[in-house]
Amino acid sequence: MMDCSTAKSKLFPYVDGELTPEARGEIEAHVARCGACRRLLDLEVAFREAYVDRLRPDPAPEPVRERVTALLGELGQGRRGARRQRRFTRSVVGGVGAALLIVVGLGAGMALQSHLGTRTTLAELADAAVEQHQKLVRDLLPPDIKDVPPKAAEEWFKKRLAFNVNLPDLKTERLRFLGGRISHLREVEVAALEYEVDGNNVSLFIIPEDAYRKLRLKDKPRFKVVSHRGYDVVIWRSQGAGYTIVSEIGDRACLMCHAPDEKLEPLPRPSAHL
Amino acid sequence: MDSRSEFQDLVHQYLDSLYNYAHVLARRDAEDLLQESLARAYGGFPAFDRSQSFRPWIFTIMRNVQIDRLRRRRLQAPEQPLEHEKEAEPVASLDNPLCSIPLAPEDILLRRETVEQVREAIRHLPPLLREIVELRDIEGLSYREIATIVSRPVGTVMSRLYRGRNLLRTYLVEPRERPGEKGIGVRNDGL
Repeated sequence: MMDCSTAKSKLFPYVDGELTPEARGEIEAHVARCGACRRLLDLEVAFREAYVDRLRPDPAPEPVRERVTALLGELGQGRRGARRQRRFTRSVVGGVGAALLIVVGLGAGMALQSHLGTRTTLAELADAAVEQHQKLVRDLLPPDIKDVPPKAAEEWFKKRLAFNVNLPDLKTERLRFLGGRISHLREVEVAALEYEVDGNNVSLFIIPEDAYRKLRLKDKPRFKVVSHRGYDVVIWRSQGAGYTIVSEIGDRACLMCHAPDEKLEPLPRPSAHL
Repeated sequence: MDSRSEFQDLVHQYLDSLYNYAHVLARRDAEDLLQESLARAYGGFPAFDRSQSFRPWIFTIMRNVQIDRLRRRRLQAPEQPLEHEKEAEPVASLDNPLCSIPLAPEDILLRRETVEQVREAIRHLPPLLREIVELRDIEGLSYREIATIVSRPVGTVMSRLYRGRNLLRTYLVEPRERPGEKGIGVRNDGL
């Protein structure tokens, strides 16, 4: 025969429906002859009925629902898009690829297109960076740190990220540092920084070098430039990290790292409209 | 119905649960975690065993995504349940669920708390216990399903559930006991 102590200790599993039929039978036999345990069980059941059974998960906010719906649509289209892209690239490479590349004359940047894997990873990085940029601009991803000088933000990131995070100095008043957060490009954790250049939003993503190397991008040209969904994306590696800038202002985004009067080599033309 | 539509339907059906669990795991990064988890789950959906329940499957993915995120971040976040799992804790079993007796909810019933007050008290539980209470009492998952999600034995789940429920009752009877609570009443900031 089950004693009170054992019966009470099995109260939660009993009410949760987790006991075997045999164990349930033992509990029920006990409470049938034990008023104290019967009362405890009744209270527990009443508590469940009054509160627990009526608990529901917190509803997802409407904006989240909308963004998830959009994401689900993109997930499917992304796969189809990727298949279309692979088919397109195969046809270029297998057919008149080399000649076409020369005719188009995109120079060094076009070397990227001759490598399917490179193009895919570049496209994925650009796509992820643009998506994050849009979220940052729309304040869907709030900053972890803001209203601080870049150096203070740099220290903040260095304490939290296990790679070399160097924020550029503000070399002109035309450039303003808005804030930053730890974010993700695909599944890679990055420092995401928001700037304003001449009133235009610019995002800078600093990527761990090992993740950047996995992209297998060639060393030259040093700056990979792609145009994606109407945004200018510049990707390069420097000082043990990868960098990606997303903006709508083309070369002017170079003010992120260079003074206005600094003479710069021109960026290559966009290698692809992804 | 194709695989993509099936996935979309399931996500929409359980979106509140998914968002809620993402919030338990990642708080302010909940939406980021949700989106990353959906992307990973979609990739694995063709291999999903349709004879199994969708929620435990995708919850497991979400938790793994969060573990990966924390590993990458190498950041000890005190509020993260995943960071507390090295704690020594009593383990129960179905044969010997627990050595002590659960708190009777009589006082709570007499106080006529509202469901929202109970919900708010759950939000104040320590993350490790809150996760289990949410999965069992709000999502209605079985001990075994929860054990699979959190990669712990059923006995550990039972133990955490027991501790979580008892602490919840303590909070409901004595709201001052809640962390961060300065008086009777509930916080409105959700966490």
